[in-house]
Amino acid sequence: MTADYACKTIDPNNPGGPPIDAIFPGDLTLRYYKYSPVRYGNLIAAKYVLQHPRRVFFGVREYNEGGWCYAGRPAEWYIRGDRTAPFPEDRVFAVYLNPNMRVYECRAEYAADDDPLCPVDWQNRYRGLIWKSTS
Amino acid sequence: MEKHFLADRMQGEGSPEFRAEPWYNPYGDCIVYQIADEAVVAERVDEVLTVYNSAMDDRPIGFQIKGVHAIVQKFGLDGLAVESEADSGGVRSISIVALLLAAYEQGPRTLGRRRAYAAAMEYPAEKRSIPADELQPA
Repeated sequence: MTADYACKTIDPNNPGGPPIDAIFPGDLTLRYYKYSPVRYGNLIAAKYVLQHPRRVFFGVREYNEGGWCYAGRPAEWYIRGDRTAPFPEDRVFAVYLNPNMRVYECRAEYAADDDPLCPVDWQNRYRGLIWKSTS
Repeated sequence: MEKHFLADRMQGEGSPEFRAEPWYNPYGDCIVYQIADEAVVAERVDEVLTVYNSAMDDRPIGFQIKGVHAIVQKFGLDGLAVESEADSGGVRSISIVALLLAAYEQGPRTLGRRRAYAAAMEYPAEKRSIPADELQPA
């Protein structure tokens, strides 16, 4: 059984406090490695975004309580096979975590017109923006 | 690209081989289906369905059904298990199409939703159902 991997990130409940662990579940990582190689490769981008988030949202699901979305912009990402490319300017990379801080999804989103570091329609998709970088 | 931070943990796990099949992600309580191993750009249709478009050329290559447990609770196994014959272990399978139909019924009947749900139902798949006992959120 593949062990979980912990990565320090902003505490969404206390953004100004000490960082906390976001967990890449071992079994999910293994599934990506074996059956979805591009998703596995893009866990690198996910880790980067968790360590360098630009926006953090809460309330990501209608039918599941809690959950978080960390959004950011990695320099590059895997697009097919071993092929990498610069991360596109008009996209934002989103990492979704469940209420237990387990990473369950990471992918690009179309960027919002009003804030290109937010996924499109962020005002309606999430319950709120809880943190944004100042840099 | 840098060495993968999890590469050491994957040693001995064999060679990767992409699988185009729907599967249940217990950490997100969602069903994920992709027909091509390419980076995706998500296009949210509604609170249940998200379409995956290829980052290469923007063509649709899959979808995600969110809040699966809630849908199953609302509609019940009998309403979703099209192939409802119980095997010796009493395991039943949930139809992906039945899940999509149930999700569609919950929202407004707009043209955009109808097209997106219809497209999701047309994806070719050898595996069209998931054992109900696998649908346990983590």
